[in-house]
Amino acid sequence: MFFHIVLERNMQLHPRYFGRNLRDNLVSKLMKDVEGTCSGKHGFVVAITGIENVGKGLIRDGTGFVTFPVKYQCVVFRPFKGEILEAVVTMVNKMGFFAEAGPVQIFVSNHVKIQKDSEVRLKIIGTRVDATEIFCIGTIKDDFLGVINDPTTT
Amino acid sequence: MEKNGKGFSMPKSSLKSTPSKDDSSQKSKEGRKVQFNNGGSPEERFDYSKSNGKSSSSADKGGRGNTANVKASKSKEKEPLELRLNQELLKNAKCLMDCEAAEIIQGIQDQMTLLSQDATIKLPVSFHKGLQYSQANARYTNTHSVRRVLEYPSYFNVNVLTKLPSTLKKHGVVEGEISVIANACPESTEEVFALVPSLKSKKSILQEPLEVALMVIKPLRKVDSTSV
Repeated sequence: MFFHIVLERNMQLHPRYFGRNLRDNLVSKLMKDVEGTCSGKHGFVVAITGIENVGKGLIRDGTGFVTFPVKYQCVVFRPFKGEILEAVVTMVNKMGFFAEAGPVQIFVSNHVKIQKDSEVRLKIIGTRVDATEIFCIGTIKDDFLGVINDPTTT
Repeated sequence: MEKNGKGFSMPKSSLKSTPSKDDSSQKSKEGRKVQFNNGGSPEERFDYSKSNGKSSSSADKGGRGNTANVKASKSKEKEPLELRLNQELLKNAKCLMDCEAAEIIQGIQDQMTLLSQDATIKLPVSFHKGLQYSQANARYTNTHSVRRVLEYPSYFNVNVLTKLPSTLKKHGVVEGEISVIANACPESTEEVFALVPSLKSKKSILQEPLEVALMVIKPLRKVDSTSV
């Protein structure tokens, strides 16, 4: 599910970026650092929508780098257990199939014949967080879940 | 780069993640909230309820966090709590419907094409995947109406309805559940209760407002030429 959330991060900036473009440099560094990352707390950071506040910079002892606390708004995608999602099948093997919903991969253990690129509605029953991605387990064995459409029939 | 310990979270097993408190009968919200291993990185601060203080202490214990306990989710009452409890976890987060997210992400992409002076800023893979997914699942022509119907007092169809039922939010339906309902485009209230089991306890109260809400948002759906 998508969320719109405010996060805070301490950004370190090298003095070479100071000057009139300080804020722009800070924002682009933030985007490079954060967009595309994933963490357990808030899932995948899909996009930064705005900067709420840039705090006062603190010079670090010994290095000359300056740390700015930055509050920014972003859209994140975080799958939850119990959530209903519609995903596209990417790979099928004899244990089941892998489906993709946004940046998240979901595995469903299933023995019904299913084809790659079909759309399925599934429920997430478990989640696991890796260093850079979230991986989920799902099921289609409940009411109102299952294949939506087959690529062969369209 | 976020670093998180490996953790496999299933219902009940989350309680075993804190080895000092192996109380499986404990149904406290705090125990169940330890689904994800917090990176605990000092770089990122995040406002959340006190339960996360507990999970960060578990992260301190060598970052072992959640053990891989593979227990199939049998009791249904555990699953629906996940959405509700995690709503508190992400208290300052606004839950978005897929159609709303699609609009926002599309807007950002349009902005990026204008501001792409810095060649090193490349949109990450997850951005494109997120955009693709949200657009594929954005099934409503008017996202604001859908949001209003599901959340706020409904003033639609005044001539048709003699009695205006209360809104869903008033009856305790949380944002996450509203988003799930909207994303799923259910045909009937039966489908809603099947997909969101946490609402079953309030079935009698929610039946009518849900019927009305579904009736109102049905015409707002985009007509999909590929659907049967």
